[in-house]
Amino acid sequence: MIRVFRPLQTVLLVLCTGFSASALAHNPMCECKAVDAEQIKCTGGFSDGSGAPGVTLDVIGYDETILVPGKLGADSTLTFKKPGAEFYVLFDAGPGHVVEIDQADIETP
Amino acid sequence: MNTHAKPTPDSTLRRFWLKWRFHINVLLLLVPLGFMPKYFADAALFRGDTGLGEREIGDVQVGPWSLRLAELRNEAPTLDGPAGHMKNFTAALCDRCRDQVKATYLRIGKPRSLRAAGVIFFGTPHRMGAMLPIPEKTKADAELWITMEGWDGAMHQAALPLNQASPATVAWLNQQGGKP
Repeated sequence: MIRVFRPLQTVLLVLCTGFSASALAHNPMCECKAVDAEQIKCTGGFSDGSGAPGVTLDVIGYDETILVPGKLGADSTLTFKKPGAEFYVLFDAGPGHVVEIDQADIETP
Repeated sequence: MNTHAKPTPDSTLRRFWLKWRFHINVLLLLVPLGFMPKYFADAALFRGDTGLGEREIGDVQVGPWSLRLAELRNEAPTLDGPAGHMKNFTAALCDRCRDQVKATYLRIGKPRSLRAAGVIFFGTPHRMGAMLPIPEKTKADAELWITMEGWDGAMHQAALPLNQASPATVAWLNQQGGKP
């Protein structure tokens, strides 16, 4: 007997149609959290799910002096001591591919 | 004993299927027709036949240079997973500045430095694109800052109100209720 519907094929067809045109952009992203009163941990990555090991992450004062020059480790994170002066964090994956996080936007534990 | 089982009569649905299946499959070929107007509109938009974008913002003077700016889509920012909401802008450099401008950046709020000038426009100078992240806590009276960097090292900036650059984005921000 001829089976009228083939559920597996139908599901595959729907999935292929639905996900064929999804965006393939990968925007930089960075998240910083205070792990304790002294330390801040930043995690970098891209919106396609890839990590950012070795990417520059600088902690810069409001007067534009670089307080902590750093690079993300193999786990795409960097932990640094909270500077005394006012600062912001700059995740710098190249010109135009940066994320800025102001000190006011860093979550405290 | 009768060893030949009587063939069971087909159900109505099955008879209908057997009779009309080829016709129904021909109808399936018509389904894509419904999507064609959107497909051709998108194709024209991306090719540039309908201008820089769905909504032209106009010419913006940036120091000695200028660019024509447009919203690719006249709609609210779209969510790009964990990176947040994004808004696409397109731009074309003025005829005279094509050879002079090295990079063009876009940012909400005044950049702190050239390094943090925002997202970069990429593509040909006749039609460049940039994907600008729109933080949910952006104020409705925020400004869109354009930073242009020349090959000679010169840097020029200009700002325009966000409600002039993208009313759809401001409407969306107001709908978000101005997160702290």
